[in-house]
Amino acid sequence: MEISRDDLKLEFKQHLITYLNLLDIKVEDIKDDEPLFGGDLGLDSIDSVEMIVLLDREYGIKIKNPTEGRQVLVDVNTIVDYIIANRTK
Amino acid sequence: MYIKEVCAISPQLTYGTEFESGHFELHDKGILYAIEPSYLDFIPASLLRRMGKAVRMGIGAGLPLVKKYPGIEGIIIGTANGGLEDCIRFLNQIVDYKEGVLTPTSFVQSTPNAVAGQLALMGEKTGYNSTHTNGSLAFDNAMLDAQLVLETAVKPMELLIGAVEEISDYNYNIDTLNSHYKSESITNEELIRSTTAGSLCGEGATMCVVANTADHAIAEVVDQFQVCFPGKEELTGLINNFLDKNGMSPKDIDLLLFGNSGDGRTDHWYNDLQQELFPDKQITTFKQFSGDYRTAGAFGCYVAVKLLQGNHRIYGFDHLRRPRTVLVYNQFGGERHGFILLRGNQASIA
Repeated sequence: MEISRDDLKLEFKQHLITYLNLLDIKVEDIKDDEPLFGGDLGLDSIDSVEMIVLLDREYGIKIKNPTEGRQVLVDVNTIVDYIIANRTK
Repeated sequence: MYIKEVCAISPQLTYGTEFESGHFELHDKGILYAIEPSYLDFIPASLLRRMGKAVRMGIGAGLPLVKKYPGIEGIIIGTANGGLEDCIRFLNQIVDYKEGVLTPTSFVQSTPNAVAGQLALMGEKTGYNSTHTNGSLAFDNAMLDAQLVLETAVKPMELLIGAVEEISDYNYNIDTLNSHYKSESITNEELIRSTTAGSLCGEGATMCVVANTADHAIAEVVDQFQVCFPGKEELTGLINNFLDKNGMSPKDIDLLLFGNSGDGRTDHWYNDLQQELFPDKQITTFKQFSGDYRTAGAFGCYVAVKLLQGNHRIYGFDHLRRPRTVLVYNQFGGERHGFILLRGNQASIA
């Protein structure tokens, strides 16, 4: 059964908290259109690598082009759209 | 070499004043996990979320000292295993993901020098930075390193030295299969009296500010000595030589602080040495507080400093006379033996 976009956002946010070990952050604290980098979450370049690992392991997506990465890893909306279009599992 | 301050995160409430006030934390689950403070009070959440337990404990014990002593120029840490949980997680990922994309955090945090490196970054220390990983003599080697650095310094100098060890589930299971730990259930209060095989597993971080001047010192590290795989008679001779080298003899030692682990297979090293060289001396132990781990000798040093400062409210120590000299002896598995000779600060005693 195909997962809805809203459920996928929820699932991705849960993965994000787990993979990045975001202490004291809940799913509802992460807004869909909030920039992941430079925003309140305080993410940095190591987190971007962790997110690439997340996308690979959970959705079978490999981001190898840095330019592409910069366009995808913007906020939850852009990442979820990319997952829907490119997931292999 | 002089000790100015000590700080420990351990299975006792050493981070506050409870341990020194006589509180004893009883552990009855066979593993002595460290009681950790609220790190978010002084470590930014963005850094804390990446830290494994060993790094967290090391920073938690070391950072307050680094902040309090801005003159600290170098950081020297001893750890047998470093961030073991992250290390094994990383190794497992290599297998699980067939050497594909790996998460960087586990790798970065698992290297033994992560503690000294992170302390240097957070304390903005760009001087000497070193980590010793010589198994159960790692802390002894860190101390020897500090001694050499301070003795060759041409000006007053302060260093942070310490030891860190964490319990990893993976390693605990391997060490259990290797008979390191007791098969029966006992508490840490009963540990030292036990004569069966194995000990109780512990963990913790101990940090000390050391200097080459006696100003505001709370104790002096007179000397330290380490030896691997000695014979019993050889060890007795080596200790005599060690004391003689420092202008002392067994009668000059006021208190022996031993690392008895309740392991009937190896505690005879302590008992025999005491009977041979120190038959009429005060003797006490420290692993009832910390459990056994490879760098527990650093926690022994912490306890020795408290005793030299005249603290006899520590649980079970009320009968001890305040010592002027303490010999800390710790060995692991009967193979590697470390001795640290400490003297109280005469000015503070007066």
